[in-house]
Amino acid sequence: MGRYISRQLTSIIPTILLSIVINFFLLRAAPGDPARVMAGRDNPTEEQIAAIRAELGLDQPLPVQFWRYVQELAQGNLGQSIAFKQPVFDLIMERMPATLLLTLTSAVIALTVGTLLGAIAAQRAGGPLDSTLSFGNYALFAIPSFWLGLVMIVIFSSKLGWLPTAGMRNVRADYTGWRDTLDVIQHMILPVATLALVQIPIYFRITRASVLQQQREDYVTTFRATGMPQPRVFRRYALRNALLPTVTVFGLGLGFVFTGAALVEIVFAWPGIGRLTLDAVFRRDYPLLLGVYLVLAIAVSIAVLLTDIVYALLDPRIRLR
Amino acid sequence: MAQSLVTEAAAPIAAPRRPTRIRAFWQPFVESRMGPIGLGILILVALAAIFAPVISPEGPFALGGPRLAAPGTDGHILGTDHLGRDILAQIVYGARVSLTIGLVAASISLVVGVLIGSIAGYCGGWVDILLSRLTDMFLIIPAFFLIIVVVATLGSGIGYVMVVIGLTAWPTSARLMRAQALSLRERTFVQALRALGESGPRILVRHIIPNGIQPLIANASLDIAAAILIEAGLSFIGLGDPNKATWGRMIFDGRTTITTAWWASVLPGVAIIVTVLGFYLVGDGISYVLNPRSRRVRG
Repeated sequence: MGRYISRQLTSIIPTILLSIVINFFLLRAAPGDPARVMAGRDNPTEEQIAAIRAELGLDQPLPVQFWRYVQELAQGNLGQSIAFKQPVFDLIMERMPATLLLTLTSAVIALTVGTLLGAIAAQRAGGPLDSTLSFGNYALFAIPSFWLGLVMIVIFSSKLGWLPTAGMRNVRADYTGWRDTLDVIQHMILPVATLALVQIPIYFRITRASVLQQQREDYVTTFRATGMPQPRVFRRYALRNALLPTVTVFGLGLGFVFTGAALVEIVFAWPGIGRLTLDAVFRRDYPLLLGVYLVLAIAVSIAVLLTDIVYALLDPRIRLR
Repeated sequence: MAQSLVTEAAAPIAAPRRPTRIRAFWQPFVESRMGPIGLGILILVALAAIFAPVISPEGPFALGGPRLAAPGTDGHILGTDHLGRDILAQIVYGARVSLTIGLVAASISLVVGVLIGSIAGYCGGWVDILLSRLTDMFLIIPAFFLIIVVVATLGSGIGYVMVVIGLTAWPTSARLMRAQALSLRERTFVQALRALGESGPRILVRHIIPNGIQPLIANASLDIAAAILIEAGLSFIGLGDPNKATWGRMIFDGRTTITTAWWASVLPGVAIIVTVLGFYLVGDGISYVLNPRSRRVRG
């Protein structure tokens, strides 16, 4: 098992390194000049822009800039944000907990609900319940997350007045302790529900397909032939094996959630990475963008790695390969 | 219905007619139940897009109407937005944009995915390792952020949006195509072609790709849906084409008045959902046709 983990660990390193290179050059290949954005709109002179550019090191040739960036990275320094004038690392770490809270909670809820519904649909494959669930699943998957968020706000905040519209905390009340926790939970409900709903289809689909596949396997037929009760075959054997692919999807899905979360964060004014990234884009804040991309790439790689390990724990055949 | 039953029963007696390719596709497609519903939806959306000038002769940007009129008032079937523009007109013109973006972006990603996947799978060795790593990496990069960066810098013209979406969506197709090429490479007919001295690129283009492309077609339908959703997301954060009426842009424009005039942003959202659902259902139908193993379960 130890060897398996170390092998997986080494395999993600080149992927992350490659993504550092590609992100850097892709961002620089795109036109747009942070110096010009920083200089403001009231007709800055070319000299002023050139001065800012020199200050940021943007006047150097690209390979030199890249080399400097890599040198800094090697020392664990993600650089200084151009727009916020703060270390990129601090900015990201400040926002990370809010995003993680949103993404992980919604992913776990979606995993549970989606898997459950998928298994139910597969057991009744071809029946009316299966058709209804499958159709509803497609409909859910077709909903843009930001639109769903808006509709949630209209219904549950504006019309019914049950839940807060935006933000992570009630800024006017300075709650502490458990009251603060409760406040955050209240603010979480709508964005988490939105994100969970749009993710359910991912788990529904994979579970349904995988349960159906397991039920066709010879071992299931054998068990049934021995007279083992159908529910027992399903719960003890078919369902367990069918859950394996779901685990993989959970890891890959986390990357998707980050992106999906960005739009939902904007709708609910949630103080997470999504809003930060968009600010970085609009202000051409290269260091901040590169930092966010790098953290995302690492986070997704680790999520994939963890799921691989869980997978190997669940399925001994993988380890031996 | 009754007539079709008669012909079905009579057919084997008259002549053992070989099912045509269209029939071989159409019958299981109808059987899938999801497919025909999706096709029906898409035909309606396409008709709305084609006849947009007939449905609303004044175009999507005509300002004359009352502001924030509720659906059904003053001849505005779906109401108006904060500038007095007709919602229905914007939705039918928006269908043109969404369908174009979806089709073009998905075609680009299909072409790129097929090329990269088939080369990786057919050549093997270091070419495969390199291309597969590249594919994995594009899967890991949060594509939406990348698209935002490019569109925010290059400009949000519809052309850029289509190309950029297409160029970030190919990894799934590439993976599918690679798997196909890997297995086709070992088949006898390919071995025979190689023994006969057929060149690599020719085998790839003439034999590997045509034989392996089937699973990618169902996937292309999903790619179209994804592209439409991405464009809506872009428009929603203000990066849509400013000269086009798009559904995402309508949601973006309407969100400031959403508590007083819900229709301005809720209805274009419904248009997105219906269209995307149409593509998903058609994709479901196609994969049902292509995957005989799933048929037994449902049939």
